[in-house]
Amino acid sequence: MSNLPSDALIASLETIVGVRWVRKRAAELQVFDADGLPGYRMLPSLAVLPGTRDELIAVVCALAAAEVAFVPRGAGTGLSGGALAENIVVLALNRLTRILSIDAENCLAHVEPGVVNVNLGRAVAPFGLQYAPDPSSQTACTIGGNVAENAGGPHCLKYGVTMNHVVALTVLLPNGELVAFGSPHGEVEGYDFTGLFVGSEGCFGVAVDVWVRLIPLPQAIRTLLADFDSVDAAARAVSEIIATGILPAALEMMDNATIRAVEASIYAAGYPTDAAAVLLCEVDGLLEGLDTDVAMIERCCGLHGARSVRVASTNEERARLWQGRKKAFGAMGRIAPHLVVQDAVVPRTKLPAVLATIHEISERFKVKVCNVFHAGDGNLHPNIAYDANNADESERVHHAMREIMQACIDVGGTITGEHGVGLDKLPYMNKLFSEDTLTTMCSVRDVFDPERRANPGKVIPVHSCREWHGAALRAEPKSRKAEWPA
Amino acid sequence: MHESSQSLAEHLRSTIDPIRIVANGSWLNAGRPTAEASPLSVQGVRGIVEYVPGDLTITVRAGTPHSEIDAATFHEGQWLGLDPAGAHLGTVGATIATAAAGPLVHGIGAVRDIVLGLEVVSGNGVITRSGGKVVKNVAGFDLVRLQTGAWGTLGIITEVSLRLRARPETDETVAIELDGRTPLLAHLIRLKGLTLSPLSIELIGAPLATTLGISSQQLFLIRLGGNETRVKAQRAQLATLGALNDCNTTIWESLQRLDHDNAVSHSDCAVARVSHLPSQLPLAWSHVHSELSSVSLAPVLSRATISRGTVRLVVPHSPSLSRDEYRAAVSSVTRTLAPPGGHVVWERLPKDAWTNVPSAVADRLSRGLQRTFDPDSRCNSGILGATFVG
Repeated sequence: MSNLPSDALIASLETIVGVRWVRKRAAELQVFDADGLPGYRMLPSLAVLPGTRDELIAVVCALAAAEVAFVPRGAGTGLSGGALAENIVVLALNRLTRILSIDAENCLAHVEPGVVNVNLGRAVAPFGLQYAPDPSSQTACTIGGNVAENAGGPHCLKYGVTMNHVVALTVLLPNGELVAFGSPHGEVEGYDFTGLFVGSEGCFGVAVDVWVRLIPLPQAIRTLLADFDSVDAAARAVSEIIATGILPAALEMMDNATIRAVEASIYAAGYPTDAAAVLLCEVDGLLEGLDTDVAMIERCCGLHGARSVRVASTNEERARLWQGRKKAFGAMGRIAPHLVVQDAVVPRTKLPAVLATIHEISERFKVKVCNVFHAGDGNLHPNIAYDANNADESERVHHAMREIMQACIDVGGTITGEHGVGLDKLPYMNKLFSEDTLTTMCSVRDVFDPERRANPGKVIPVHSCREWHGAALRAEPKSRKAEWPA
Repeated sequence: MHESSQSLAEHLRSTIDPIRIVANGSWLNAGRPTAEASPLSVQGVRGIVEYVPGDLTITVRAGTPHSEIDAATFHEGQWLGLDPAGAHLGTVGATIATAAAGPLVHGIGAVRDIVLGLEVVSGNGVITRSGGKVVKNVAGFDLVRLQTGAWGTLGIITEVSLRLRARPETDETVAIELDGRTPLLAHLIRLKGLTLSPLSIELIGAPLATTLGISSQQLFLIRLGGNETRVKAQRAQLATLGALNDCNTTIWESLQRLDHDNAVSHSDCAVARVSHLPSQLPLAWSHVHSELSSVSLAPVLSRATISRGTVRLVVPHSPSLSRDEYRAAVSSVTRTLAPPGGHVVWERLPKDAWTNVPSAVADRLSRGLQRTFDPDSRCNSGILGATFVG
């Protein structure tokens, strides 16, 4: 297998997609050298941007014939380094933006992989429908990328993650073979290839088109903001709410560092800056009975010492409260020049203890952790703002992150809830899975891509995939300094 | 009897015989033409490993009966929300292996939506654990979804972590009889015009309604859950469709039992799931009844999960047909039951009739996965069809 495209291959690709859509010069390739997690930078050897389904198929067939490895890429908003290509070809799918059909009667949409998440939502809203997965990057991220990462978002607490909403796919295997997984017309017997493909991070091939399930827009929505004197009290209120049996559409927490970052930014949402933590809770569904749920949630927050609970009274107020939450990562840019965005999940009842441990770790390593996360499903995002040019601080950030991840694993949690493994979580995979399980995952990958040309070196650590022994990509970064610059 | 995954793994490593995985044996073989194999019981691999009510999750060994999970979670006001036919007899491992869903699939989701993590012993005795105990997890490739519904052909499921739900504060079931002179499509359009969020919403055929003792007419059977205000408001909407006949919620258990008891009381009874786009349900409903009637297999016990467009049919032995005639009739309908554009999944068939059903695992990728997990084709071999193209 060769990683460098030959002149003949480049000429062939240019014939397929047009010279304009094959990027070769370093300056052109710079835009592909990182994803949403700027700690990793890798320059691809080439970027190809097919504009139609036929072009996509022809490109993958040409890459297969030349035995060249490639990395499928959507909008590049991922947060695990999963869409990075080190001296291999980037297959950019963000020109495939057509919504092929909307079947409102059956609550289905058929889309190309480059459709931006929020655009699908806008297109189906006039039919009284929504596409539920709503990652914070939804204004930029694509459905294809969401499928690859099994993306979540605040509202997946009630509605489920991408896997729960993908009904069927047409997949282009790395050898150029087209296969259909699932069916929009009902249940197909056999293995759940759709479930297996969603979240495979581009290692099994490329989604050519995707059928997704839509759900009706709720009849009514109530959005509450509760503020607390301590993170612990807010975390206990989360457990109390979940224990009532109410399933909020979303239940998010932000700590004081995050609140202050948001309030100091253009995304200021009116969060109380003196609060140790706020909970943003949304319930939706039928109008009747919704206020009963709101009253119950207010009681739960009150039981755990909420200073106030405010219910958004207008759509504008609701939108403002959500904007603060969804743009929190961006707002953290004000705190320090660089940011490590983390993603782990713990059992909900362990939230208070794990948040206390994270606080202890941050104090010990003298790093600034900002917590903004999906509290309702225990999905933590402890983010560290720092200066990557400060070697000592970078070293402390690195150690703190490792201890935080280990603390999440120790309480029965997992290393990623929605960002994927990519490159960033590779070092933790063998802490979570046995060697036998990792070897089995490698073997499953081989069924789809025996030459491991699709997104090589991602998801499974090097030592579990024989072909990658001694390869350039690695589980542990060669240089820690190189891992953290932004 | 094996009581642990390690013991099962050791057995698989130390023997070479093909095995037929058996839990309670309540749905054994489903008439499927499995290869000759030694039964391997997983009934001893049972018990609750960890139940944390505050997390709404439970981890159990796969041979644990549903009844044991129900009993443990009931006291905490929670439930699993899986109600496939025969669940009262079956184990949770079998439910996951067959991905068998019941009417709660509408409000709570399919089996694949509820399973968080799995431990599996593969055909060559290797133990893998994928997924986890938390409700959100994208670490590694999703072997959980792959094993769910694989009918044990990729190994023995030995431990599962599952998402639980809080039991609804109010749980009511109503039946609405459907006027037989009005087309089914018209009834469905009126139903769709309402704003509801039911737990279950099923179309019940007249023979099944009669057997359940609710009515002699075709009807909607609807389970409403939530707070009292919400349930009351939905009842008011449903009342615009017709008179509401209140049913005890145990009707759903009766449905599970009746459906299952009919299927297993005759060893070669046919059971099928027919699916199509939800908008095509009237077409699918009329097609399957017409096809079965044309070969003298009516009346059938039929119901449909309206939102999924799935019709489930239990085809009991007809007194007017001999056993051989019944088998011949079923065999012939296997070729015609799928409505145009739709799909049929046979859960159970007389043995000879399986020859008409295409293999679900003959494609290259399925064969590759089987070789990965079970290189010698020892686990439930043939139960999803042959892995080769004849």
